[in-house]
Amino acid sequence: MDLVKDQIETDELVNAAKLNGEPSWFVNMRLHAAKQMNDLKMPLVQRFDYRDWRYTADAKLQWETSSLLNEDMGQKSDSDISIVQVGQTTVQVKLPADLQQKGVILTDIFSAIKNYPDLVQKYLMTKAITAEDNRLASYHLAYLNSGIFLYIPENVVIKEPIEAKLVQDSTKTNPFISHVLIVAEAGSEVAFTQHLTTQGEKQNEANCMVEILAAQDSQVKFSSVDELGANTLAYLERRAYVERNATVDWAMGILNEGNTIGDFNANLIGDGAQTDAKVIAISSHSQRLGINTGVTNRGKHSVGNILQRGVILEKSELVFNGIGNIIHGASGAKAEQENRILMMSSEAHGNANPILLIDENDVLAGHAASVGQVDQQQLYYLMSRGIDCETAERLVIRGFLGAVLSAIPAKAVRQQLIGTIERKLENGQ
Amino acid sequence: MAKLEVIDLHVEVTDEEKQTSKEILKGVDLTMNTGEIHAIMGPNGTGKSTLSETIMGRSAYHVTQGDILLNGESIVEMPVDERARKGLFLGMQYPAEIQGVTNAEFLRAAINARRPEDNQISVMDFLKELDKNLGILDMSESMTERYLNEGFSGGEKKRNEILQLMMIKPSFALLDEIDSGLDIDALQVVSKGVNSMRGDNFGSLIITHYQRLLNYIVPDVVHVMMGGRIVKTGDASLAKELEKEGYAGLRDEYDLDVALVDEN
Ligand SMILES: Nc1ncnc2c1ncn2[C@@H]1O[C@H](COP(=O)(O)OP(=O)(O)OP(=O)(O)O)[C@@H](O)[C@H]1O
Ligand SMILES: [Mg+2]
Repeated sequence: MDLVKDQIETDELVNAAKLNGEPSWFVNMRLHAAKQMNDLKMPLVQRFDYRDWRYTADAKLQWETSSLLNEDMGQKSDSDISIVQVGQTTVQVKLPADLQQKGVILTDIFSAIKNYPDLVQKYLMTKAITAEDNRLASYHLAYLNSGIFLYIPENVVIKEPIEAKLVQDSTKTNPFISHVLIVAEAGSEVAFTQHLTTQGEKQNEANCMVEILAAQDSQVKFSSVDELGANTLAYLERRAYVERNATVDWAMGILNEGNTIGDFNANLIGDGAQTDAKVIAISSHSQRLGINTGVTNRGKHSVGNILQRGVILEKSELVFNGIGNIIHGASGAKAEQENRILMMSSEAHGNANPILLIDENDVLAGHAASVGQVDQQQLYYLMSRGIDCETAERLVIRGFLGAVLSAIPAKAVRQQLIGTIERKLENGQ
Repeated sequence: MAKLEVIDLHVEVTDEEKQTSKEILKGVDLTMNTGEIHAIMGPNGTGKSTLSETIMGRSAYHVTQGDILLNGESIVEMPVDERARKGLFLGMQYPAEIQGVTNAEFLRAAINARRPEDNQISVMDFLKELDKNLGILDMSESMTERYLNEGFSGGEKKRNEILQLMMIKPSFALLDEIDSGLDIDALQVVSKGVNSMRGDNFGSLIITHYQRLLNYIVPDVVHVMMGGRIVKTGDASLAKELEKEGYAGLRDEYDLDVALVDEN
């Protein structure tokens, strides 16, 4: 790249950040990330070729107020603790007074950068995710334009789930680069549910990250329903940093309509740290989905379980990589994974790969994987009772996903997932 | 009144693995009306299941000649679900298991499939009907909350087929060996279920190897099938005769080129 162009881009970035009132430490983080970005590799998704996807095409920081704000599009949350963002604008934050008094923070990421610089500086892309991880992580930090910060102080237990609704505004062309930072201090407990959707039909990129820092003895239950639009090229990265005897559980439904990469990992740093990852994905039309779900066992007696179920419709493609990484010294660690894919059409492509990297002898690790066509016998049986082919397929799919769905503890999340799945299947058939 | 006619039916089955076709049914003629119970008996491998599966519309079976008419309309080109909605039901020899879908949910879907969108069965009516039929079949309510056939014992599966029959109320039920694997009590219970359906609006084609079932469900007509054809038709006494004499006599009488198991 030529120097003049570089300098112009740098100036633009600095000006945009200043316009947003960002402190210089954060502007410097952005600049550093922007500079190194092109020297870094793209994230690795084994057996999935996405070379021609233009993830970082729109390298520009641009602020705007969403025109969707005036319309009531059901972007309110009925939960008592919730945050709603439309595009770059936070339209609702609800946090009961007693939790505020206990020191719980729920706010948009830029307010947090200004008002709680110590906390954010300590945790934002320092441990769970770093800008050095790959090109998309650097791109993310450099051009970050929305997000949420949730902080739960020591020993605070939040009983009710916190709901976050994030709406990508695709009525205009502007990438959706969103960061959710969740810090759970020692002994705290929280359940966080997020729902990603798109309004508008413009071609846009979504680069959405979630970082969870779970200090010792804390418990975080994260669930998400991803429902981004057909014209959104999505990169979803979610990582947890799990300390001693802490637990982070994921329950995720990847139900986007457009091409998507999902990269999820729980890093079990502390002894006795635990994670349970449940992932459902459905691909349809000519959509392509590449998903890495991983657990890194570092702590002794750490326990990680991965359960993935995917359904492939029409000419779409879905790759599930289950990545189990057991580091030397993690004695007594347990790592189980099961990755299963159901293909509803002969033109679909599916791959379920357990990838195990085990550098420790004293461990218990197991894996199962399968890719199979829908059982014609089952369809015939259902249809012989008068049920039409599409409904029969949906029943079989629901049954297949049932193993994951029924294991999701929160009923509301389960219901929302089931509803979204039905919608996606109806569109896909 | 409804009528089911099988006319000069020839059926081939394709073996997907071996890429070969074989003719199984070689000209079957059969007419039944609602209000009648027919039984089909015949040696193993003679094509009884093939006949019932072809009437229902399983894709592996190809009609190469002849026709199947339901109330005068050919159903040979109709998809399975449409045949079912027109009044056919097949109680299968080997029912499929479906995880994640409860029996009750499935039954409601099946009932509603044949009702118009604006006239779906109410929960109350459904439960009332379900309770009544569970009672007749001596089944516990918990069976309906279990996943469809999953982990059911052989006998439980058979009962469950009859429960579906009673809930769906088809015009014609093809029942393929519903007696196999049933203990004596279960045999009576299942028969009671089928008998409770008897009436002017119900007809059944019962495939069985054993006269015993026909003591409980007394047929109006008995057919003997051998070598892909119906070779003899009579009344209930024909079944008793067969039980005594076996199939060899019949084969010789009609000079059929059919191998029977006990002669190999
Ligand atoms: N799907 C199939 N693929 C290959 N061969 C088949 C298939 N279905 C039936 N056949 C063959 O057709 C013949 C008739 O089978 P069918 O199941 O109709 O006999 P049946 O009279 O019901 O026997 P049984 O009394 O043992 O149940 C057998 O030789 C069987 O192997
Ligand atoms: Mg048979």
